[in-house]
Amino acid sequence: MNRRLVAGFLFSLLPALVTAGEYDLTVDRVDIDTGEFVKQGIGYNGASPGPVLRFKEGETVRINVTNNLDEVTSIHWHGLILPFEQDGVPGISFPGIRPGDTFTYEFPIVQAGTYWFHSHSGFQEPDGAYGAIVIEPEGREPFRYDREYVIQLTDKHPHSGDRIMRNLKMMPDYYNRQQQTVGEFFSDASEQGLLTTLRDRMAWGNMRMMKADVEDLQGFTGLINGKGPEQNWTGLFEAGERIRLRFINSSAMTYFDVRIPGLNMTVVQADGNNVQPVTVDEFRIGVAETYDVIVRPKDAEAYTIFAESMGRSGYARATLAPENGMEAPVPALREPSRLTMADMGGAHDRAHGDMAGMNHGDGDNSMPSDMSGMDHSGMAGMDHGAMARDQSAEGDPFYAKGSGLLPEAANGGKFLSYADLKAQKPLYENRAPTREIELRLTGNMERYTWSINGVKYEDADPIRLQYGERVRFKFVNETMMTHPMHLHGMWSILDVGAGEWNPVKHTVSVQPGTTVFMETEVDATGQWAFHCHLSYHAAAGMFRKVIVEGGPEGSGA
Amino acid sequence: MNASKTLAAMAILSVSATAGAAGNHGNGHHTANSGEAGKASEASRTVTVEMYDNYYEPESISVKPGETVRFVVENKGNLVHEFNIGTPGMHEAHQKEMQMMVEHGVIQGGTLNHDMMNMEMGNGHSMKHDDPNSVLLEPGQREEIVWTFSGANAIEFACNVPGHYQAGMYGDIEINKGD
Repeated sequence: MNRRLVAGFLFSLLPALVTAGEYDLTVDRVDIDTGEFVKQGIGYNGASPGPVLRFKEGETVRINVTNNLDEVTSIHWHGLILPFEQDGVPGISFPGIRPGDTFTYEFPIVQAGTYWFHSHSGFQEPDGAYGAIVIEPEGREPFRYDREYVIQLTDKHPHSGDRIMRNLKMMPDYYNRQQQTVGEFFSDASEQGLLTTLRDRMAWGNMRMMKADVEDLQGFTGLINGKGPEQNWTGLFEAGERIRLRFINSSAMTYFDVRIPGLNMTVVQADGNNVQPVTVDEFRIGVAETYDVIVRPKDAEAYTIFAESMGRSGYARATLAPENGMEAPVPALREPSRLTMADMGGAHDRAHGDMAGMNHGDGDNSMPSDMSGMDHSGMAGMDHGAMARDQSAEGDPFYAKGSGLLPEAANGGKFLSYADLKAQKPLYENRAPTREIELRLTGNMERYTWSINGVKYEDADPIRLQYGERVRFKFVNETMMTHPMHLHGMWSILDVGAGEWNPVKHTVSVQPGTTVFMETEVDATGQWAFHCHLSYHAAAGMFRKVIVEGGPEGSGA
Repeated sequence: MNASKTLAAMAILSVSATAGAAGNHGNGHHTANSGEAGKASEASRTVTVEMYDNYYEPESISVKPGETVRFVVENKGNLVHEFNIGTPGMHEAHQKEMQMMVEHGVIQGGTLNHDMMNMEMGNGHSMKHDDPNSVLLEPGQREEIVWTFSGANAIEFACNVPGHYQAGMYGDIEINKGD
């Protein structure tokens, strides 16, 4: 079936679309205006974000990408299942696209849902080289809506990606404005006793971590569809309509907690795959994830889409309204989350065994000898911000017990957990994995090195998989940061304990102090990237090449 | 507060009690709402409704005021689904009960825990789902409902398994007052 010449009649609402099947994208230097600052960046077809690409399941697309930059570029189709040569990772899939060249991607569309695309070269993606992909299914959707909008989030920073990376390498807390102060030391000391407070600070110091490091990149402006909070991107609706919102987090570094005060949201897709619908008041979207939700505003009022960063250092804001120009109140940022000792759990445990993952390179592997005697039940008291949260510490198995990151809905209602995600229709037959591969997520915050099993990308051997096996990956997060792990080319079946109903994702967040399992049916020959999707972590070495050997054509790289 | 809402609030543990109100057995206050259980012998026709994950076929059914319809409802999906005739308000109240059925493990994806449904929960309540205006079916199951429509507007058939209604698993009963 060749639908290449089908005109865009299905998509008349979307001016960006020309024809289904054949696309032209130019990679350009562009100006990005956030309403707070204007910076030079990189975009597609003259703008950042680039256009929404609308594909149809079952068609073959041809995308001509012309590089107008003076450096090599690439486009990775995030979450799409395709031949590895089309995956767009320089050095793994192909050599990249040189200045002035046009590269034509061509691949069949074998899935449906909400995805995105971005450069996989240098820091072009944080500099603005990203756009959205919407794929219409062959059959009907298993849900209904009257209209839809892409809601593409990013964390636009006034500095270029190269400059940010240099600063982080030089001074890892360069962009961390929420470090604890001397004043806090004394107030903690008066409430918890000097010894406890000292011990707390010493423990953190020895971990080479800074307690307020929920976000290592602050000072950004949150954008939705390229608009800053003051520019207020607005989507129109009529009262009573069902609206499908396709949330995409294209941030370099920022997790967002998303809510729409006055509306609940029914989550129907995660990472492009249909899930059994679950109605929530708020959800956290990891870097590179997508969530599709359906909302139904019954009144002809304005509603604020409010996306607060996980560390509460910034936000993105947009509006749903019956008419342009209408606004609803914009909530205040909540108190910043603070990591607790629970978030240090993985690192803490390793402290008594193999320190290689965490530490230090300076020969000082000694932990305070009383660490093991520390009373975890008392840890909550260390952190004022986390006290209330501890009440519901058992609420989400994907956070360490007592974690300072445990999310809570602003209205006290339902906050989406990974544990709520169940596949609407299992994609693969459920079977036992053929083997397990442990991947410890490791790093040294003070040197801004990030790695897997203590080894940076440039020093690591590829992970070799055999076509046809089902691998169970065990992520052990030994760092203080949340890592959104993204395997290219094959699906990540996230183990939420639901057996055959485990959801299928392309990006899996691993919270500090936790172990998360995912399984992959190794069904795509070739070589693929596998990495933390935080831009500066990937660049610092939390990255692997995966080689799939064997397969139908025996062409395993 | 109307009586059915009061009932829902008081008897939150009892699917039977509230949905009974929805079905308005011997309770004159609500007869105007959605209609009442009918006799198969009075049915003017049979309408087949197929339930998929998560939608109905058809998504709209036209009836005449006072008409009695025999519905044959078949679950062709892989998840548990409900076919429930009521007003949007009744569905909303029922969704809270269905949420509880999920939380208690009565509904688990594609299966119903019948032991749990029949368990006595105190005050004569259980999580049985046995009201005349609705059926709750596992994949592959098929059941019938005979319903006499009152002619009131804004009646929907809906699946109140958590999230399903919100995702769009509902259909309209169109009241055809002509011919």
